[in-house]
Amino acid sequence: MKADVRGKNPSPTISSMQNPSLFTNSRSSISGAVLTGCLSSLDGACIEKLLLHCGSALESNDVTLAQQVMWVLNNVASAVGDPNQRLASYFLRALVSRASRVCPATMSFKAAGIPHRRLMSVTELAGYVDLIPWHRFGFCASNNAILDAVRGFRKIHILDLSITHCMQWPTLIDALGKEPECPPVELRISVLSWRPPTPPLLNIPIEKVGQRLVNFARYRDVPFEFNVIKVGGPVEEEETVVSSSFYDFLLSQLNATIVKVNVDEALVVNIQNWLRYLPDEETSLSDSSCDGIMSYRDSFLELVGRLSPCLVTVVDEDCDLGAQSGLASRIVSCFNYMWIPFDAFETFLPKDSPQRIEYESDIGHKIENIVGYEGAQRIERLESEGRLCRRMAAAGFMSVPFGEETVKEVKALLDEHASGWGMKKDEEGMLVLTWKGHNAVYAGAWVPYAPAFHQNNLLV
Amino acid sequence: MNESAASGDSSSGNQTTPPKPTEKKKRNLPGMPDPEAEVIALSPKTLMATNRFVCEICSKGFQRDQNLQLHRRGHNLPWKLRQRSSKDVKKRVYVCPEPSCVHHEPSRALGDLTGIKKHFCRKHGEKKWKCHKCSKKYAVQSDWKVHSKICGTKEYKCQCGTAFSRRDSYITHRAFCDALAGETAKAPSAAEPAADIAQDLEAGVSSSPPVSLPPQQSPAPEDPPPSDNSNHVSELLDSAAANPSSSQILEELPNVTSLATGCSSSSCSGSSGSSSSNVFASLFASSTSSANLQPQTTGFTNLFQSISCPDYTPDVAPSSSSEPVALCLAVNQGSSIFGKVGQERRQYPPAPQPTLSATALLQKAAQVGAAAQNMSLLRGLGVVSSSSSPNSTEEWSQQKMETSGGSLASGLGLGLGCDSGTGLKELMLGTPSVFSPKHTTLDLLGLGMAASGCSTSGLSALMSSVNGGLDVSAAAQPFNGREYDSQ
Repeated sequence: MKADVRGKNPSPTISSMQNPSLFTNSRSSISGAVLTGCLSSLDGACIEKLLLHCGSALESNDVTLAQQVMWVLNNVASAVGDPNQRLASYFLRALVSRASRVCPATMSFKAAGIPHRRLMSVTELAGYVDLIPWHRFGFCASNNAILDAVRGFRKIHILDLSITHCMQWPTLIDALGKEPECPPVELRISVLSWRPPTPPLLNIPIEKVGQRLVNFARYRDVPFEFNVIKVGGPVEEEETVVSSSFYDFLLSQLNATIVKVNVDEALVVNIQNWLRYLPDEETSLSDSSCDGIMSYRDSFLELVGRLSPCLVTVVDEDCDLGAQSGLASRIVSCFNYMWIPFDAFETFLPKDSPQRIEYESDIGHKIENIVGYEGAQRIERLESEGRLCRRMAAAGFMSVPFGEETVKEVKALLDEHASGWGMKKDEEGMLVLTWKGHNAVYAGAWVPYAPAFHQNNLLV
Repeated sequence: MNESAASGDSSSGNQTTPPKPTEKKKRNLPGMPDPEAEVIALSPKTLMATNRFVCEICSKGFQRDQNLQLHRRGHNLPWKLRQRSSKDVKKRVYVCPEPSCVHHEPSRALGDLTGIKKHFCRKHGEKKWKCHKCSKKYAVQSDWKVHSKICGTKEYKCQCGTAFSRRDSYITHRAFCDALAGETAKAPSAAEPAADIAQDLEAGVSSSPPVSLPPQQSPAPEDPPPSDNSNHVSELLDSAAANPSSSQILEELPNVTSLATGCSSSSCSGSSGSSSSNVFASLFASSTSSANLQPQTTGFTNLFQSISCPDYTPDVAPSSSSEPVALCLAVNQGSSIFGKVGQERRQYPPAPQPTLSATALLQKAAQVGAAAQNMSLLRGLGVVSSSSSPNSTEEWSQQKMETSGGSLASGLGLGLGCDSGTGLKELMLGTPSVFSPKHTTLDLLGLGMAASGCSTSGLSALMSSVNGGLDVSAAAQPFNGREYDSQ
């Protein structure tokens, strides 16, 4: 059990609260027992139980219990403590902010409750994604798979759907630049003008990022083009509530014309930490092109299939926090999952490292959304590897195992990081990044079942 | 297993082993042993035992029997040193004792005892050796030693001065590096970046066709005399590009760099307000008093005189606000003139360079500002300047720290406003300790419980207080640790 592995760091002040009988006055005897049992030692398992009880209390509108648990958590949580304490502080914050919406609030909060986040510069972002292999793992696996899949094509078109502002592409461009081919392979990358409102946030628009990529590609002698596909979106930045009409519009833009699919190009759809932002509630959609009861996520995948890509790479976080999970179970899953990056940071960064705190607060932002919101406002709908595989199969995709070279590259990458990072390959050929054995991020590649007709026009 | 033929026969189909002189032992592929070899399976204990051979007199242990025998001579004991008999060389191969290992099979045994020991340690052993610099761990001491030697030595350096130990980090940074944002200079592919600029200049200068001098530029917002000189600056650059005697420029380039060295003591203020006329002049007749510079100054002056503008009058007035940075940037801009990247590879099409007045150049220098301190041109000269990025992060944090104190108080003030009991007040007072060690007392327990009667108000009070802290803390994220660590 994960909690056993974590270090125990009981807060020194807890010892002063040695009077468990006070808690027996509470309405709920269960909470009394739990709290009593927890007071002796506060480790990860205990915090998990506290969170679970708080979640249940909020679900059943038991305000008193929620308040009591929060008070205990308040004493345990610490933004500068061990990973469990730090994580607990973000959870507490999210729970409090959620509870404050349950009660009539005396203060008004911003609709989405996004704290004002610092915007990074693009150079800082480059360092950010390299702090831990969390993102780089997906980049490396996908880029290698892409290179394998497009071998022989003269032109490549990548539709990039991600939240890391094109940090993935310099290494791909560099790899293409190294190929001694003459004439060189032409690369075109398209991104959407809309991006899910989640960290990491950048201080320049995506067009400027693209400009730098263009410069870099020039430097590496790679013919390169960068497109931004206008898909509209919420006008204000603070507005996180993305209405269903937006998703309808977004999906309607994903056709061959607007994406500018060319017959002589190898199309790759790269989806990194992005699929989770498409709602996965099954509803009857207004979009006439999709019949029946499907979620936006499913219809999106169908549309992608219809573009006849020669590869679809999907990278996401291995945790189930989708539409089907209730609050309490979500809290527990999220807590156990988010412990992974927190523990990774603990291993090699000091407690007050600004980069660590920044990364952790970004995760805290996600926790706030996962725990603090419901419905359309809850945009972080993570899906585990298993569920995603089934979803891809249902959408008409066939899994493409990663090649040996790719596996070697990823292993070499992980070797350069702390030794807790590992990798495993599952039966379907997907790769999973692990930290101390726990699944963190998965990467997979698929092709649509119907063979792409344009592959017959291979120009070598 | 193919016999390795006599030396010289390298064209056989033997891809596995390179041809060797016949005196050497033939080597099998790792893990593909000679079928006739004797397979030895040692237990883990025996494998890891360091000193299997023990002297009966003094109990000293040895790894090899030969060494023990030599030792026995010292005790005047009879010893037996076995000579390696060349006839009966029974090849020995060893299997890994770990059952799940692929080398557990005799068909995949390893031929070397030391090898199997290391393999067992590496794959199935505990990693006890840790690198000091990075976090990598090793089970075999020799692996650790090898790594320690190379750890941190292999570095990729960006032109902005940041160093990386991993290529992918370097590549990602390089693509987006602020210091190179405006640059379209081209460098030989896959080159290490350290010599990038120099290569840019050389490559560009040597092959660039004459660039037509731009027509008279639009008047700069400064006084006419500086703008005249500013025109000269850009013209000089253009004409330098156009100079067919590129070799002269190449020779003089080192002089430029050494001149820049002389200016290292001057601050790179990056102010665009300083008169552009002094840019070159101040660089040449820099504030240093080193006599070495004099001949080089004249050399450079000669260069510029020889290039073209006869009406160029070098202002020898030394200026304390000399801007070697601007020059370097100008050179860089120049390099973009020199090495203009075309759509075709390896070609430098004579695209007309947009007129870059010195004002524009200086403004660019101001923008790039602190980062410019790290231009490799200066770097390569040993000009020491701190890299900008970590500093800027800290600066930002410092600034925010000042604002946080006030807002935290106001957050608390808000919270205190809707207080409904002294116990809750203490709770709220204590809630900044969400981020610091707690000061809870037993009183809080009682009062906290009493508040359960009016739970709604209590909860909202808790909410508002913690949220007061929340809003603040959210903004004050990166340095909570610092703020409260001192407690």
